[in-house]
Amino acid sequence: MFPFLKSKNQTKDNNKDNSQKVLIYKEVEKNNEYIRQLFFAEKNKDFSFRTLTAKYIQKKVHIFFYSSIVNSEKIYNGIIRPLLEADGQSIKDVITIESLTEIKDFDQVVNQINSGKAVIFIDGDTTAYSIDVAEFQARGVEKPENERVVKGPKEGFTEALGVNVSLLRKRFHNHSLIAETALIGTRSKLEVSLMYVNDLVDQDILKNVRERLENISADNVSSIELLEQYIEERPYSIFPTILYTERPDYAAQFIEDGYIVLLMNNSSAALVLPATFWSFFHSSEDRYARFLFGNFTRIIRMLAFAITLLSSATYIAVTNFHSEMIPPDLLLAITSARERVPIPLFLEVIIMEVAFELIREAGIRIPNPLGPTIGIVGALILGQAAVEAGVISPIIVIVAALSGLTSFAIQNTSLNPSVRLSRFLFIFCASFFGMLSLVAALVIWVLYMSSIKSFGVPFFAPLSPHFKSRGDIYFRNVIKHEFWRPGQIKPKDKRKSN
Amino acid sequence: MNRLSLLLYLFCFSTLVGCYDRIELEQQSYVIAIGIDKTDEEGLVDVTFQIANPEVGSTPGGGGEGEEPKETVTLTGTDIISATTTANAFVSKELKLDHTKAIVISEELARSGEFLRVIQAATRTNQIRRGVQIIVTKEPAQEFLNNNKPKMETRPHKYYQLMLNRASEIGIIPDADVHRFFQITEGDADLFLAPYATTEIEEQKKGTTEDDYIAGNVPQQGGSSSQFMGSAVLKEGTMIDVLNGAETRIALTLDNTIELTDIYSTYKDPIKPKYRVAGSFGKKRNTEVNIDYKKNGTTKIDILVPFELEIFSVPSLVDYSRNEKNKEILRKSIEDELEENAKVLIKKSQEEYGSEPFYWSLYVRDNFKTVKEYEQADWNKKIFPTAEINIEYHLIKLEFGKAIDDTKLNEVRD
Repeated sequence: MFPFLKSKNQTKDNNKDNSQKVLIYKEVEKNNEYIRQLFFAEKNKDFSFRTLTAKYIQKKVHIFFYSSIVNSEKIYNGIIRPLLEADGQSIKDVITIESLTEIKDFDQVVNQINSGKAVIFIDGDTTAYSIDVAEFQARGVEKPENERVVKGPKEGFTEALGVNVSLLRKRFHNHSLIAETALIGTRSKLEVSLMYVNDLVDQDILKNVRERLENISADNVSSIELLEQYIEERPYSIFPTILYTERPDYAAQFIEDGYIVLLMNNSSAALVLPATFWSFFHSSEDRYARFLFGNFTRIIRMLAFAITLLSSATYIAVTNFHSEMIPPDLLLAITSARERVPIPLFLEVIIMEVAFELIREAGIRIPNPLGPTIGIVGALILGQAAVEAGVISPIIVIVAALSGLTSFAIQNTSLNPSVRLSRFLFIFCASFFGMLSLVAALVIWVLYMSSIKSFGVPFFAPLSPHFKSRGDIYFRNVIKHEFWRPGQIKPKDKRKSN
Repeated sequence: MNRLSLLLYLFCFSTLVGCYDRIELEQQSYVIAIGIDKTDEEGLVDVTFQIANPEVGSTPGGGGEGEEPKETVTLTGTDIISATTTANAFVSKELKLDHTKAIVISEELARSGEFLRVIQAATRTNQIRRGVQIIVTKEPAQEFLNNNKPKMETRPHKYYQLMLNRASEIGIIPDADVHRFFQITEGDADLFLAPYATTEIEEQKKGTTEDDYIAGNVPQQGGSSSQFMGSAVLKEGTMIDVLNGAETRIALTLDNTIELTDIYSTYKDPIKPKYRVAGSFGKKRNTEVNIDYKKNGTTKIDILVPFELEIFSVPSLVDYSRNEKNKEILRKSIEDELEENAKVLIKKSQEEYGSEPFYWSLYVRDNFKTVKEYEQADWNKKIFPTAEINIEYHLIKLEFGKAIDDTKLNEVRD
């Protein structure tokens, strides 16, 4: 039940031994038979193969591919037609498509076909050729759903790796921006793209990331959301340590500073690492807005952060333990409202907080046509009617609504749940000894946060421990006055030019 | 023991803490004013609690129709705190003194000197705030609290908050919280002034200046039944005299530890003495107190009070604003009048009280190296009563409101 409490004794490593490589045969028919067995060609309807005689050598040629994940026009124009019509010395002269890879064994053949390539076998040749004709279906570039901005680009990542890489390259034109590929998964091998600027990124962090990717022993890691959970250090932690963003512009900002971005084919988001608290707390719009307004937004967000974390807990602590802190007018108003409420104040708060979480959860899951129901049910029944029925006091509605509403100001989809969960933690703590236990819990919470590391980088850096950085912590500087790259990730070139 | 069971044990312990002193708001009654009266028996006092009724007036459409906004109960006990438990014999909820606004003591108790014994509890308990105001009433405190029925601010906390704030802002009563009481009483050098109030409206004095009253004789028709005016003078915790509103104002302007807003007051019209000139008296700078301490001689105390005045009414219609000569006469007359009044009060405090209500002992303290030396020198017995005191009021700014000329009477009535 609590695996983190058990000591780690054995690491599983059973899946990797049974690989002995089968080399490609000289006889094309033998290859043909082997492949067709391997891919269950009889049952697999979208597994296609084509046999033809190449004009340039007058030999039999077999082409294998999955028809569902390739561009058929490309196959016809780029492979079949040249083979049938063109003359030349070798296959490289005949097939002029951009990528042509030589492969020697069947493991590679399988990988290539699975990732949407066409593989060509030539009679009498022990080398097979793989040609990139992949076309996985994906939607186009759309607006990011969860990270909206008013001022700034509206493009979001999409579920196609090539498009995502392109969106990043579009924002940073530099020859040393590298899109390194790693394959993860044992049964289904999927590509992960590591993007970084070679002459900025810290090699230790890069090595660390590569190692973690290699150490994944799962059968299949199909998306970046799952990958995040495979490579993070503390899966039981309440705080995220890898930044998840839907915005290519935000990811590109990090690449420029020497961070590493991970992309995958099936996710409309990228992972940025190493991440600090500040990267979750900031929003890309903070930089797009002009200096004053950007910082004004920061103030609002900090305020919202404090309110959503502590308002309910403080309310419990103050009313249950320190009634002398409340101004008399408010005190008498709350008291008179509470006189007819049958449940303790602590339960009142919990009920409303849970109700708010229910509305939120239902709001996400509810089918679109039923959307407006949530508003009616939520606002009328839970708010007004419950107060009128005397189940809860009106002030609780204000407190819960305030703490619920402000939680939306924490835009980041990873940090937001942390804050919401912490809120419940604080509510419970406040109900034990009031402010005393609330403050104790808050101190422990902050201590814990500052103990976290993301790929070796402290969570609160560059604030604590202090590093030279562009000073974008609580508030940001004027763009022209940002002189340093974030020191905590040890970029090779620390000084920014402005 | 593995870590899982440790976690479970910790969780179990956390359920044992029992939430310490947690209490719901509606299980408490909030005492707004405490009255203390003398009884015939020594060591016993009558304690009166005025409790706010949260259901009246705090929420629109709230319940409690027909209920009083407050409940006033009196019982006999040895001190305030233990009386709160006795009171639970007839008050249904726990009495909380956290929100007390005022401690009301009767003149009888204050004069008897027993007050210090009873109020002593306020320094120990954390329930009574240091900011609670002390009020001395002419009648027994119980009577005052029962008779005090404000017409507008029916909720008691609001009444005391507003009443005390405003009246002390303009200086007709002093700002006298428990903290200041202990500071002055334990300092054993100065006099403590507490607001003087009553609900017994007696003979009504007429024809004096606007603040020459003490509570009970302010000419009043209609309105609330209680008056706050003037101050009770407490020496070493015992009441010795009552100052009227005017004297209280003078005392407060001479005291640098108290902030006053602009005070509207009237002064003699030097040219047409039948009328009075009205203006707003402002003290923006501190009173300068220079004490020339002589160990074996007469100590000299020089007081300089800088003040500003904005004249807004000259009923005699004498041209003071443009006629420089007149202006000078007015300036001189006002300064003299203020000095005269202050001298009377200072003389009274030197001769009658043997100490002063202006907190001037603060300025003599830097003549001594140790507390012991200062205590031996004895401000209120040896230094102050024999000191030679010069007081000077200095009008630093004289303004005449937004219109320079008054109505020309002879032109209007031609």
